[in-house]
Amino acid sequence: MRIGVDIGGTFTDFVIVREEGKPVETFKVLSTPREPEQAVLVGLARVPSPGRRHIVHGSTVATNALLERKGAATALITTRGFRDVLVIRRQNRPKLYDFFADPPPPLVPDRWRLEVDERVTYTGEVLCALEPAQVDGLVEFLKGEGVESVAVVLLFSFLHPEHERIIGEKLRAAGFSVSLSSDILPEYREYERTSTTVVNAYVSPVMERYLGHLEQALAGDELRIMQSNGGSIGTAEARRNAVRCILSGPAGGVVGARYVAQMAGFDHIITFDMGGTSTDVSLCDGDIRVTTEAEVGGQPLRIPIIDIHTVGSGGGSVAHVDLGGALRVGPQSAGADPGPACYGKGDEATVTDANLVLGRLAADVFLGGEMTLDEARAWAALERLGQRLGLGAVDAARGVIEVVNAHMERALRVISVERGYDPRDFVLVSFGGAGGLHAADLARRLGIPRVLVPPYAATLSAFGMLVTDVIKDYAQTVMLPGDTPIPTLRAHLRPLVERGIAEVVAEGIPREWVLVEELLDMRYAGQSYELTVPLGEDPVDAFHAAHRRAYGYAALDAPVEVVNVRVRVIGQVPRPVIPRLDNNGEDASHALFDRREVIIGGEKARLPFYRGEALLPGNVIPGPAIIIRKDTTILIGPRDIARVDVWGNVVIGIGD
Amino acid sequence: MTQAANNYDPIRLEVFKHLFAAVAEEMGVVLRKASYSPNIKERRDFSCAVFDAAGNMIAQAAHIPVHLGSMPLSVAQAVAELSFAPGDVVILNDPFRGGTHLPDITLISPIFIEEGGEQRLFGFVANRAHHADVGGMTPGSMPVAREIYQEGVIIPPLKLAEGGRLNQGVMDLILSNVRTPEERAGDLRAQMAANRRGVARVQEIVARYGADEVTRYMGELLRYTERMTRRLLESLPDGTYRFTDYMDDDGIGDEPVPITVSITIEGDTATVDFTGSAPQQKGSINAVYAITLSAVYYVFRCLIGLDVPNNSGCLAPIRVIAPEGTVVNARRPAPVAGGNVETSQRIVDVLLGALAQACPDKVPAASQGTMNNVTIGGWDPIREQSFAYYETIGGGMGARPGKDGASAIHTHMTNTLNTPVEALEYTYPFRVVRYEVRRGSGGAGRYRGGDGIRRDIEVLTEAQVSLLTERRRLAPYGLEGGGSGARGENVLIRNGQETPLPGKGTVLLEPGDILSIRTPGGGGWGKEEYGQSRCVVVEKEDERMV
Repeated sequence: MRIGVDIGGTFTDFVIVREEGKPVETFKVLSTPREPEQAVLVGLARVPSPGRRHIVHGSTVATNALLERKGAATALITTRGFRDVLVIRRQNRPKLYDFFADPPPPLVPDRWRLEVDERVTYTGEVLCALEPAQVDGLVEFLKGEGVESVAVVLLFSFLHPEHERIIGEKLRAAGFSVSLSSDILPEYREYERTSTTVVNAYVSPVMERYLGHLEQALAGDELRIMQSNGGSIGTAEARRNAVRCILSGPAGGVVGARYVAQMAGFDHIITFDMGGTSTDVSLCDGDIRVTTEAEVGGQPLRIPIIDIHTVGSGGGSVAHVDLGGALRVGPQSAGADPGPACYGKGDEATVTDANLVLGRLAADVFLGGEMTLDEARAWAALERLGQRLGLGAVDAARGVIEVVNAHMERALRVISVERGYDPRDFVLVSFGGAGGLHAADLARRLGIPRVLVPPYAATLSAFGMLVTDVIKDYAQTVMLPGDTPIPTLRAHLRPLVERGIAEVVAEGIPREWVLVEELLDMRYAGQSYELTVPLGEDPVDAFHAAHRRAYGYAALDAPVEVVNVRVRVIGQVPRPVIPRLDNNGEDASHALFDRREVIIGGEKARLPFYRGEALLPGNVIPGPAIIIRKDTTILIGPRDIARVDVWGNVVIGIGD
Repeated sequence: MTQAANNYDPIRLEVFKHLFAAVAEEMGVVLRKASYSPNIKERRDFSCAVFDAAGNMIAQAAHIPVHLGSMPLSVAQAVAELSFAPGDVVILNDPFRGGTHLPDITLISPIFIEEGGEQRLFGFVANRAHHADVGGMTPGSMPVAREIYQEGVIIPPLKLAEGGRLNQGVMDLILSNVRTPEERAGDLRAQMAANRRGVARVQEIVARYGADEVTRYMGELLRYTERMTRRLLESLPDGTYRFTDYMDDDGIGDEPVPITVSITIEGDTATVDFTGSAPQQKGSINAVYAITLSAVYYVFRCLIGLDVPNNSGCLAPIRVIAPEGTVVNARRPAPVAGGNVETSQRIVDVLLGALAQACPDKVPAASQGTMNNVTIGGWDPIREQSFAYYETIGGGMGARPGKDGASAIHTHMTNTLNTPVEALEYTYPFRVVRYEVRRGSGGAGRYRGGDGIRRDIEVLTEAQVSLLTERRRLAPYGLEGGGSGARGENVLIRNGQETPLPGKGTVLLEPGDILSIRTPGGGGWGKEEYGQSRCVVVEKEDERMV
């Protein structure tokens, strides 16, 4: 039995494959934010198995510890003269036109940022050797301070890790949790390396405690943890490298979306995950795109993270009129509490309220009937908003939708058009509860020809965890000329490759299922951004080509540098086989349950409402129509046409 | 102005706000990615903007504040001097004809739309980037000069492209006058690509919504930001508020250089008058009018405090008077390299000093008031090539009402990133020996000023250092009884002996010498209460004269 588990703010989602080829089961239990493992254990108790269960788990523990600043008491040890690198950051301020904005305070307070005498140069030469005895005094000091975890970041340690290791051994012997920058991120640029290593030190003890509880309760099962790079790792690795588990939930969604889209025959997709408070979008041009320039809670993390763009608007975003008289939506959100006005507690108009006023939601069967929406309250909220705009409730509601769609359109443009992709070549994969009502309109605005709504729209992230491989990334700064002979480059890669294969095999993956990708981060000498290219016969040529593709030109005469060597080791896991369903013909009338008044395109019209759970493969629904599902509501525009495919996806062809 | 009086659609207004902002941002992405030099790619020293047919700025991507108020003057100058056809690109950097200082090169492209078979001028897009070298007497083109002719190649508004064809003669002339022609050519290509993208995007918007509707909402967006400014001005008590502060010197003479402002608030309008400021100087601290306007724009834009579009509407209710021939509105042939990077900071300081009297609860004490421009050049025997390194260093932010100032950060008119220590040592014959917060340099007070930075760089070979720094003689002021921030210090450390260096000037270093730059702290806010002192004693001299 294989199980994917994703912890969200409100619910913890479970996706179960009991036997290959059998339909996937899903369920949700209420999350237990204070002790998130409780919800996991409650859910797992519902699916006992005589054999060993394979569980892949997206944990929010590390992310929340960072965002809520509830990590371990952490200290930092640096080269003499550089303990403030963490505070100085890159010298820039977060907001240009705000006198009162500050960068987030450092995760390590002044008193616990310590220095040692030592210095290594850019060639790896030791200019000043570390005198081990001076470390003893620091260890004594930190013991007395109640510090739990220590990050060690010395200049150029990626060229000469011995000094960090000496310090690390002494700290471990004294019982501290230790993160060495030469292990966590052996790459140049001291601030980003410091930030990443400190975050690791800050969240690791929290992860350690969490996994300890979980493993104790799940003895006999196999547990893997989702990482932000779209792969999973074993618990031992997750404890050492907790920073790599930050943002694993959204990563699961992208992996899941790509998997269902590929099965349906679509390779180029844009994922659109619109939730209550925010929306995540990402683009896959066959491969999932990974970035090393992510920032979480104001802390840069230079580890590979799926390139996801997030905007602070969702179904719960609150509409208001600003001082200049413009209608604004978000970034404030009504969240789960009080929630949109129609949830019965709040009074402020949200995107969900606007959709309800326009007739696009079924108040009587929301969330499969688990909840009834308060229509009167939503109307009252939109009427109040309308008064401030000189509009009626319906026009105000249309305005709210128009504005929130403008936010979404801009987000989708950022990840497509701005990065050189034409949206017309992509399929929009919509998941997350709020997305189905907006996806078709957004696709139309961007010229996207198709929308795909998978059957597990609300649990796609947990589903994605079921289909992830074990993926481990390694990198090392080498700073070599571009014409370095390939054997020399391979010599630099070899230790990383060997380590990677050994670690993945140790996770129980057979050697023949392990793939190795060797990559180089290259640039023109003098540039400060690198492009990653696969190590092939002629890396310099490959780099010129990559540069031309990304930036529109190549400087064939300019010297090229290899900044980092990079290895990605992939341990393939068996994927669940989703059963292909029989085609039941085009007629969808058996799923039709009502005709209701809806405002669409500025006009009132009676639209057919279909029950999504009753639809069968092959069924065709011409727009305009609405599909009500337990997990989401789908709006099909007047000239659109929806079809249910043999995997249970709703695929909408977008008309003009 | 009441909501009832409006005749615009508040929904369309919001939608168009996003549309135009997205155009400016996308231009920025193209420019950053396609450009070659680290100064654009890594330090992000550039801005992009969209204009209507009359040259009003409709949207600007938030990059560099000092470009804010000055970009519209570039477009205005181009409009005044030239006529346009589709596919034209205008280039300029002449500070006295639409530019700011020579390294900032601006490219302007007209947007034409087709109407009844005719091409009609609909608006403009423009972008400005700081080029790492534009010729002149020193590498990096930020010298302490006496005439603008020493600062680099001067480009009046010219057609870099006509009807979509590159004007190779103009390009060749420019490239023949700079030290790194290939890098310049790459950056200029990137600037042209950014404008092409911007023109295409605006044309798409027109195709979608119709020219009349787009024009109408360009106007509405200007009025929207104008309403926000008027609302701010209305909330300030009527009256005239005066303040004077000083530049240390002009780098040639020894005398402090006063900058004076009087701000008169009257209902929902303001007059900002710099009469009384010093005449233009021999050294390179002169600011052209565009810089002064940018500083005014920046200060009011911050005081509005809300997320409003960066457009020309902001300045509509504000009249700016800057007498010609002064340090805040210099005439040819004054050198101006430092006007952009140093004097602009002091102009902000005097504006804030005056406005603190009108709204003490909204205004921070003086921040470091300099960008600490350091250029190090010479011959690198290890890498066997000549080098020219330029950086600016953050400092203390002024304390705010209710909040300490942030430490070790870029403030006000700049927001460029640093060069990492490890990147520096890979590229240049330097070794950084300290990079730390200059503890105790922030001004005392109920709320403390932020601390500056100490950055010590050892040179491993002979090198020539050019310094263009401020607040070495006259400290950043505190407010409401708060103390001044510590003054900055430039120090040469040779064999362990410290020798003070001037704020502006050139010095020759020997291998093993350490250049130690200690940047100013921010001023404090409010009187320090008894028992609240955090046992930091800072040397202070109160040189404020309010």
